[in-house]
Amino acid sequence: MYLLILQFSDKFFYSSTACTVLSRTLMHPTHADNYENVSIIFILHWWCFSGICYTIFDLGFRFDVAWFLTETSPFMWANLGIGLAISLSVVGAAWGIYITGSSIIGGGVKAPRIKTKNLVSIIFCEAVAIYGIIMAIVISNMAENFSGTTPETIGARNYQAGYSMFGAGLTVGFSNLFCGICVGIVGSGAALADAQNGSLFVKILIVEIFGSAIGLFGVIVAILQTSKVKMGD
Amino acid sequence: MATERRMVSGRGCVSMFLAMFCLFSSGTCDEQVPLVLWTSEGSGLLSLAGPAAGHIVGVSQLGSYLENALNSAPHNILLFLQDKMSVEDFTMYGGAFGNKQDSAFPNLERALLSSPSPFVLPAVAWPASSTVIGQLQDQLDTSPLYMDPETLSQLRLNGSTPALLVFRLPYSTGADVMSAKEVLRGNDEVIGQVISIMKSQSVPYTAIYTAIRPSREASSSISVEAGVGGGRSLLQYADKRRERERQRERERQEKKVQERAGVYPPVDFKEGGASCILLWAENLTVSVLRGGRWERHDLTSLTFGEGVTPRLQGSRCNQSHSSLVLNYENILGHRSFRLVFAMSQRHYKVSARRWFTLDAVEIEYDGQKATFNGSRNVYAPLEYSYRCQSVTNFRYPLLVPRTSKDPANQWRVSFTDFQIQGFSVSGGEFSYASDCAGFFSPGIWMGLMTSLLMVLVLTYGLHMIMQLHTMDRFDDPKGPAISVPQTD
Repeated sequence: MYLLILQFSDKFFYSSTACTVLSRTLMHPTHADNYENVSIIFILHWWCFSGICYTIFDLGFRFDVAWFLTETSPFMWANLGIGLAISLSVVGAAWGIYITGSSIIGGGVKAPRIKTKNLVSIIFCEAVAIYGIIMAIVISNMAENFSGTTPETIGARNYQAGYSMFGAGLTVGFSNLFCGICVGIVGSGAALADAQNGSLFVKILIVEIFGSAIGLFGVIVAILQTSKVKMGD
Repeated sequence: MATERRMVSGRGCVSMFLAMFCLFSSGTCDEQVPLVLWTSEGSGLLSLAGPAAGHIVGVSQLGSYLENALNSAPHNILLFLQDKMSVEDFTMYGGAFGNKQDSAFPNLERALLSSPSPFVLPAVAWPASSTVIGQLQDQLDTSPLYMDPETLSQLRLNGSTPALLVFRLPYSTGADVMSAKEVLRGNDEVIGQVISIMKSQSVPYTAIYTAIRPSREASSSISVEAGVGGGRSLLQYADKRRERERQRERERQEKKVQERAGVYPPVDFKEGGASCILLWAENLTVSVLRGGRWERHDLTSLTFGEGVTPRLQGSRCNQSHSSLVLNYENILGHRSFRLVFAMSQRHYKVSARRWFTLDAVEIEYDGQKATFNGSRNVYAPLEYSYRCQSVTNFRYPLLVPRTSKDPANQWRVSFTDFQIQGFSVSGGEFSYASDCAGFFSPGIWMGLMTSLLMVLVLTYGLHMIMQLHTMDRFDDPKGPAISVPQTD
C-alpha cells in the first residue's frame, strides 16, 4: 500500500528508492522460499529500474494512473471482485477446516467422545464459506451490460459500480480468509483441550464465536459498499 | 624517392613496393592505374629512373619508359592485362597491414622478389594505360597473341624472336567484398601458372601486370569500404575537388533517402523569423456528407510535400494560445475553405507541469464553421510535440464534434501520421514526440493484472502444497511392520 501511495505522486525518485528499501525488508528469510524470493526480487527490481528510467528521461508524465483507471473496463473490476469474494472465502474456510479437522481426528483417537461436540468448530469454519458464496451471488447479480466504449460514454455510474464491486469482493474475501484461519486454529486448540478435560470446551467456544464475528463484519461492509451500485445504461 | 633508389634489391623490393602503394594511397590516386614490370633475368631495369612521387605518368612518358625498359630486357613480353585495377586493390587485398597470410597476391610477390629488376609505375593516367598494348606492339613490331595458360604450355618460345603474349584477366566488384578478393586471387594463380610454365621452358621474359582502366573512382573510394585499408579519411588532406565530390555524394544519398521515405519538411508558421507552429502529416483528407454520400477530397498535395507552401494567413502565435490556419480554395464546392488548429497551454496543478492541448480543429467554409473538440485526447507536455498515427473523428475518434447539432457531424477529417507542435519550437524542428499510444494498451494492462493475480495464487498454493510432508516421526525402518487388527 505504501508503495502504491508513493507511486501516485510525481516524485518517482522517492518511489524508486522506497521500492528498493521495501524490497530489502520484504526479503525476510522466514516468509518465503528461495524461488519466491527470486521472483519477488526480480519484479521489485524491475519496478525500481523502470521508475528510475522514467524519472531520468523526464517521462514521468507517461505514468498516468487516471488513464489506467478510466481505460480499463469496469467489467474486469466487477468480475475480479466476484471471483475474489468466493475464492478467498473458500481458502479461509478450507484452511480452517484443515487445521481443526486434523486436530479432532488426532485427538479422537484417544478420546472418542470429543468427536460430536467439536463438529461445531467445523460448522463455524464452513459458515465463512457460505458468507463468501452468498456475497458472490449478490454481487454478481448487480453486474449488468452497458454499451459505452469510451470513458465519456461509459459514464461515472458504471465506473463506480465496477470499483464498488471490486472493493466489496475484496472486503468479504479477505475478512473471511482471516476469519476462517482464526476459527480453525482456535477450534483445533479447543478439540485438543476437550480431549484432555471435557469441561474446557464450552468456554473455548466463546473465543470461537468472537472469531466468527469478524467474518460477519466483512459481509456487512460489503453489502453497504454495493448498496448504491447500479450498472447499466 | 631517394629511399626507393637505394632499396632496389630483391629483399627490399616488396616492402618498397607495398610502402609506395601505402604512401600513394594518401595521395591522388583517382583514375590512375598502376603498372608493374619485372624481368626474369638481366638487371637492365635497375638503371631506369622511376617517376617522382605523386607523378602521374602520361602516354608519352609511358612510351619512353617502355622503350627504355625494352632496350635492356628480354623481348618475350607477358602482358597480364586486367580489366580494372587500382592501387586500393593492393592495399585492401595484398596483406599490407601485417596480415601477409591473407594476401591475394602470393605469386606476384614471389615473382617480384625473385626478379633481378622489378619496376613499378604506381600511377599511370587512365587513358594512357589502355594504350599499353598498342605501344608494345609498335615497339616490338609484332602483333599481340591473346593467350591463357593452357595455350601457352603448347607454345614453343625462343629467346631471340620478340613475342607479345597477352593474358586477359577479369575483375569484378560484386555486392560483397569477398568476390573481388576471389577474382584477384584467381588472377594471381594464372600469373603463377604462366611464370612456372615459362620457367620450365627456360625462356627469359619480361612480365607486365597492369589494367585497362581503374577499378575505383575517387568518390566511391571514400564512401563504402571501411575495412582494412579501405577507409582513407584519416590520411587525406583537404582537396577542393574531393570536397566537391564528397558534397555531391552526400546530396545524392540524401535525395535517395528522401525519395524512399517520402520525407518532406513540415508546415512551418514563422513569427518574427522564428518557427512557432509546426504541423506534419503523411495524409490529410476531408469528407462531407451530401445527399447520403460521403464526398472526399485529399488535401495532402496542397499542404505537404517538397516545395509545397500552403497559405497560412490568419495564423497567430503567442505565449498561451497558438492558432494555425491553412487556407485553400475551391474544395468540395466551397470557394473559401480554411482548416484552423487552435491550441492553448496552461499549468496543471496535480501533475505540476505545463501541458498544451489541441482545443479545436475547425473547418470554416463559405462563412460556416464546423468545430471538432480535440482537447480530451490530443495533449502533450508543453516542451514536447504530439504525435499520433491516426487522428480522425470517425475511426477510433480523437476529435469529436463540439455539440450534437454542430455542422461537424456532417464532416469527416482524417490525418495519418499526424504530428503537431504549437509551443516551445526551437530550431525549426519538432521536439521529442509524445506519442498518443503508450507502451502498454489498456487491454494489455487488464490481461497483465488478471494473469499476475492468478500466478500469485498459483505460487502461493504451490508453496503450501510443497510444504506438506508425510509424517515420519514414528517411522522405524528396523522395527516390525505395522499390523492392522481385523477386529474392532
